[in-house]
Amino acid sequence: MENAIAWIFIFPLFGSVFVALSRYVNIKLAYPISVLSMAGAFWAGVETLCQAMASPNHEISYLLGGWTLDLFPRGVGIEFRADLLASLIALIVLGVGLIVTVYSKIHVEKETPNKEAIYYSLMLLQITGLAGICLTGDAFNLYVLIEVAALTGYGLIAIGSNRAAAATFNYLILGTIGASLYLLGVGYLYIKTGTLNMVGIREVIEANGLADSATMQVAFVLIGVGILIKMAFFPFHAWLPNAYCNAPTTTSCLLAPLVTKVMIYVMIRMVLTVFGVEFSFESTIWVSWMPWLVVIAIICAAFLALSQREIKRMLAYLIVAEVGYMVGGVWIYNYYGLIGSIFHIISDACMTLCLFLGAGIILHKCKTTHFDGIRGLFSKMPLTMIGFFVGGFSIIGLPPTCGFFSKWYLITGGMVSGRWEYLVVLMFSTMVMVILFFRLIERIHLAVDESGKNLGKGHGDLGLSREQTRFDEAPLIMLIPLLVAAATVIVIGIYNQEVVNQIETFLQAYDLPTGVEYK
Amino acid sequence: MKYFSLIPVIAIGGLLLWAGQDFPKWGDVESPASKSPVSSHFIANTGVDTEVPNMVTAVLADYRGFDTMFETVVVFIAGMAVIAILRGSSVGRPRRKDHEVEAEPDLIVTNTVRLIVPVLQIFAFYVLAHGHVSPGGGFQGGVVMGASFILIALSWDLEKAMSRFPIERCLFVAAMGIVLYGGIGLLSMMLGGEFLDYAELEKILPVSREMARYHAMLGVEIGVGFTVASIMFVLYANLASEGRLKQGL
Repeated sequence: MENAIAWIFIFPLFGSVFVALSRYVNIKLAYPISVLSMAGAFWAGVETLCQAMASPNHEISYLLGGWTLDLFPRGVGIEFRADLLASLIALIVLGVGLIVTVYSKIHVEKETPNKEAIYYSLMLLQITGLAGICLTGDAFNLYVLIEVAALTGYGLIAIGSNRAAAATFNYLILGTIGASLYLLGVGYLYIKTGTLNMVGIREVIEANGLADSATMQVAFVLIGVGILIKMAFFPFHAWLPNAYCNAPTTTSCLLAPLVTKVMIYVMIRMVLTVFGVEFSFESTIWVSWMPWLVVIAIICAAFLALSQREIKRMLAYLIVAEVGYMVGGVWIYNYYGLIGSIFHIISDACMTLCLFLGAGIILHKCKTTHFDGIRGLFSKMPLTMIGFFVGGFSIIGLPPTCGFFSKWYLITGGMVSGRWEYLVVLMFSTMVMVILFFRLIERIHLAVDESGKNLGKGHGDLGLSREQTRFDEAPLIMLIPLLVAAATVIVIGIYNQEVVNQIETFLQAYDLPTGVEYK
Repeated sequence: MKYFSLIPVIAIGGLLLWAGQDFPKWGDVESPASKSPVSSHFIANTGVDTEVPNMVTAVLADYRGFDTMFETVVVFIAGMAVIAILRGSSVGRPRRKDHEVEAEPDLIVTNTVRLIVPVLQIFAFYVLAHGHVSPGGGFQGGVVMGASFILIALSWDLEKAMSRFPIERCLFVAAMGIVLYGGIGLLSMMLGGEFLDYAELEKILPVSREMARYHAMLGVEIGVGFTVASIMFVLYANLASEGRLKQGL
């Protein structure tokens, strides 16, 4: 298909409009239309990735409106550029979107009655925005799509309860500050370069020697800080836990794996494609202190996660810690660190999806995700718990899950670039993750309560009644998406070399240090 | 605490001032933004490419039409999000608010509005349709149109305005606006161009490639106008009545 890249946003965009219109015909149509349009978009995503891999320079350029590029600097019209990085991340976005859409049926009917059409419509537009962010090659178009993704996000979170609305208000304020800083930065870029096309901006920076320009330095800071707020990097993370915990289940399943990860993709895109390696790493001082901020971020987020007594809230702080990993992987300024960072975007999306889908099922079955309510769950829902813990083991980094391999590259990057502080904090945080998940396993399997008192009679007896441990698995429409997500985590882990090959092909175009750099 | 917030404010202010030292001079013809082939292309070729005299409309609806499509989608999302949040949120709250008073619509106000509204609505169509040649376009025309319904709601009450333009129909019209915009883009893609490549519409319109762009721009502006006008009213009606769609301000 020639226009596969356009179908990626056409399917969910038109799908969302038809879903919104389905309330005039039959509200029951909303779910099948959403699933079908997501399936179509996913197919288009696969097709785009295949085309990008097959094309000679490993990228597809799609000119919206058909305006040509043969100017210097380019940028008369808006360009969609699907290089290997963009199409990989877009495919992950669409895959997660498809899985969550299939999973959402029961939750949406229960948690947002009479608002299904609006809910699915916002959900599809959210995926449109996120996939568009990955593919766009225009700095201002990126802002517009960030707005689409952010506004739908506010709606999807606040649709739940009144507490969710309060949490959304915080998110709204911080998200708007982040987006405004980004927009201001893009304005400064335009003042100095006269174009909005991402590649065009880099060409002008290199041709005019703008590396020392104060305006460009400030633009870099504004865009960088704006994106850091959007991705909930540690001191700016305050909006995330409340928003994700009070949101409807499906919303947190959709937003948690995607929004922060896509923003990290935006940071990588800005660093590599817009400002260029030389400007970002050599002309600014971010390389020297960002890893230290990352260290603080990961330690604080890990301790905050440790102190939670509720699965969803714990997972929310885990995301904050994972964001620290990926930001660190970029700013240790190393080839392997960047491979790790990009690979971790992919694997973190999959494993966070597993965990949140699992938490959603636990909430559906037990009416709580508090640590006290989960004893004996393994005998009750073995398959759900297997799916949940595949995600958990991947967060810890156990082979053969994909989390092991992405962390491997992050650690290699830390060693090769001599950033030992990053290495140490990665190890420390891995230990914390081990505590977090084995504490959960202990709760589920052992008969020991909070104070250490033994409740059961031993030999696998948990001290629970027969009803509490009888096999009672989640409905298939929720279970199958979870198991697919868990299988994806393992399959990406086993075929990690295939993924890394694509990332390496992408990074070959950039001049990154691969060896030890002594200072 | 108030003084702590001064710290980031001063820091960012200092940063912005420092950035200013490197700006091109005010109105400098040699500045990168005015010298760049991108803006020169717009100035030199808008008329040649699209036959549209108003350069701003051409950049908005054609060169960067994809941005505008998603801006329209953002407006649509805002309307849906407000409905999603407010509908059912006021269940169990007192039905009357302090600012809601029982009063007959004022004779002078209603009669003035009776005169103004038709003029406003015709003017809205004028602004919408003349976006190509004079300042105007879908966003502006849509806002004027939406404002005319808000004016009715303010001078009578919400029910009166909603009897003219029910909320359900608002959402339908808003969605139709997106379908119209996206549909023109999709149609030009089906005819062999890229998405939103209006020139391909020449195959079904009896005009040249440039005039096809001209007419398609009118089409997408109408789509924008649909969405903006109805979402304006949806926002007002929901916010003014806390989602109950009764009485209102």
